[in-house]
Amino acid sequence: MSLDDHAPSIGVLANPAAGRDIRRLVAQASVFPIAEKRNMITRLFSSLGMLGVGTVYMMSDGNGIADRIRHALETPPPSDQIWPKVVFLDMPIEDRAVDTLVAAEKMVAHGVGGIIVLGGDGTHRLVASRAGDVPITALSTGTNNVFPAMREASIAGLAAGLVATGQVPVGDCAVRNKVLRVDVNGVESDLALVDLCTSTELWIGSRALWRAEGLDQLFLSFAEADAIGLSSIGGLIRPVTRAAEGGLWLNLADPASAPIIVTAPLAPGLMIDIGVEAVQDLRPGEAISLRAERGVVALDGEREIEFSQTDKLAVRLEWDGPLTLDISKVMTYAAEHELLHRVNAN
Amino acid sequence: MPLSKDELLKAYRMMKTIREFEERLHVEFATGEIPGFVHLYAGEEASATGFCMHLDDRDKIASNHRGHGHSIGKGCDVDAMMAEIYGRGNGLCGGKGGSMHIADLSKGMMGANGIVGGGSPLACGAALAAKQLGTGGVAISFFGDGASNQGTSMESLNLASVWNLPCIFVVENNGYAEATSSKYSVACDDAADRASAFNMPGVVVDGHDFFAVYEAAGEAVKRAREGKGPTLIECKLNRYYGHFEGDAQTYRGKDEVKNLRATIDCLDRFRAKVTSADLLSEAELDVIDGEVAALIDGSVEKAKAAPMPAPAELLTDVYISY
Repeated sequence: MSLDDHAPSIGVLANPAAGRDIRRLVAQASVFPIAEKRNMITRLFSSLGMLGVGTVYMMSDGNGIADRIRHALETPPPSDQIWPKVVFLDMPIEDRAVDTLVAAEKMVAHGVGGIIVLGGDGTHRLVASRAGDVPITALSTGTNNVFPAMREASIAGLAAGLVATGQVPVGDCAVRNKVLRVDVNGVESDLALVDLCTSTELWIGSRALWRAEGLDQLFLSFAEADAIGLSSIGGLIRPVTRAAEGGLWLNLADPASAPIIVTAPLAPGLMIDIGVEAVQDLRPGEAISLRAERGVVALDGEREIEFSQTDKLAVRLEWDGPLTLDISKVMTYAAEHELLHRVNAN
Repeated sequence: MPLSKDELLKAYRMMKTIREFEERLHVEFATGEIPGFVHLYAGEEASATGFCMHLDDRDKIASNHRGHGHSIGKGCDVDAMMAEIYGRGNGLCGGKGGSMHIADLSKGMMGANGIVGGGSPLACGAALAAKQLGTGGVAISFFGDGASNQGTSMESLNLASVWNLPCIFVVENNGYAEATSSKYSVACDDAADRASAFNMPGVVVDGHDFFAVYEAAGEAVKRAREGKGPTLIECKLNRYYGHFEGDAQTYRGKDEVKNLRATIDCLDRFRAKVTSADLLSEAELDVIDGEVAALIDGSVEKAKAAPMPAPAELLTDVYISY
């Protein structure tokens, strides 16, 4: 038995690389095996199929998730369950971040009613740059995750499915997110969802930023006091919610001479003293020029852009980030409108 | 972990020497003058260099069948290596080891190894010795994705963790165990995933990026020297030639290597980064290119001119009495 090909579709985008970086060596970051990502995805299938989602588009990859899902699809689903048809996107596989960008673009082109993302802040950042107004359901499987939450995949699947099938109106349950955009020499270059940090380190290297030395300026779209990673530096001084209009902007300095010292959890199990010279509000639309002459820009905790003396960089906070589903709101709407319970007529 | 100008020059010279050594062997092997097998390391230079830049005389490495890069990284004499590969009497091992058994204990290079997975137990032994003697030394085992499946590798990971050894396991995953894709033959998704089963950190790094390898290697070496135990690092990289010279490579995609050379070559990436950051000039790197070319030319010339071992040497150096 299969669902109607004209039934709504959803994209499921799982980053096979999330959760493998150097923070497992320099901190005590957890390992998130692909076997568990595969399990999460099949739990999504159960929820999506039950709600009438006809097709799930998935990223093709060379690192095992696609193969494991194909293997899962070869065996019958648990009894009484109907899984959606799964289509692996026809795309070149480079086993790099560009795969995520291409997959997100193709999902949008297929007209999906939502994209469920399994990954860390970095993966969500990539999807956000291509998702447009397609709502994202954010599931954490990475390291220093602030943007996506650790949620049970079955429930995330229900929420995404309820919206994609039109049973819950997206306008009631999706929220627009802020985003930090970086311009390099006047050209919009990239974005961060949570934090954008400059460092005087010269190389992208192993990507993560986990040392206090070299951290120069930090821009935050929101800053929660209970966050992990760079945004905790702001969150422990002046918390800013996701819904607040503005963000934060901090100039960092050597803890030996800085007026404020924050003991920040920069990575799991890694509490480090960070010196803060100044904290300022970051207003939407305001372009702030970076003060460092050379170094790297880290987006959501990962070094992404190397720049030198000849480059001019500026950062802006904008309110044109991705739409994300508020899973709790969707499920509450479903309860209030009796979407998942019924009176037993017997 | 900033690198000084001298260190950057040293790293480039090391990578370039490995590359030229291998490119030249690719040409020379086809002439039929070199006995035995050779397995070339071209394309993987950032890995050996990124690790060996952190090592000193206290440290030891165990290599595998693809061992020229590790040997050069650990400081083996290039002329003596070339002579060894040509089977000459003045070779690093008297001409009796050849490419696959090349070694120089005086440099802490415990040997290339014809046994897949044979190096890690040796590294455990060297690490145990360093720990017991309190030298502060570390041991590194370089092995491939194929060897990562071997029992010896698992046993070594276990032993290193149980004894908290200053040992670093470097999986150089070039995508193929001989002709079998690692995506097929490695049951876990990343070889680094296996680390957690042995209670040690495991990370994946871009093995084409010297700076990524250097940074991760530095942290692993520091951890080992501080007595914090072993680490598993998987370098994702590619080899430019076959499993062995003569391998038809029918298992590889059309233009696969051509595309790799054009897009992610570790030497090109290094050159682009250090010159755009204004740390080294093109001219400075060109000088090294010229010096390395002359070094390799000379090593081949000398190796070809050197005599084979005399028949009387047949059994010397083969057995050792402890």
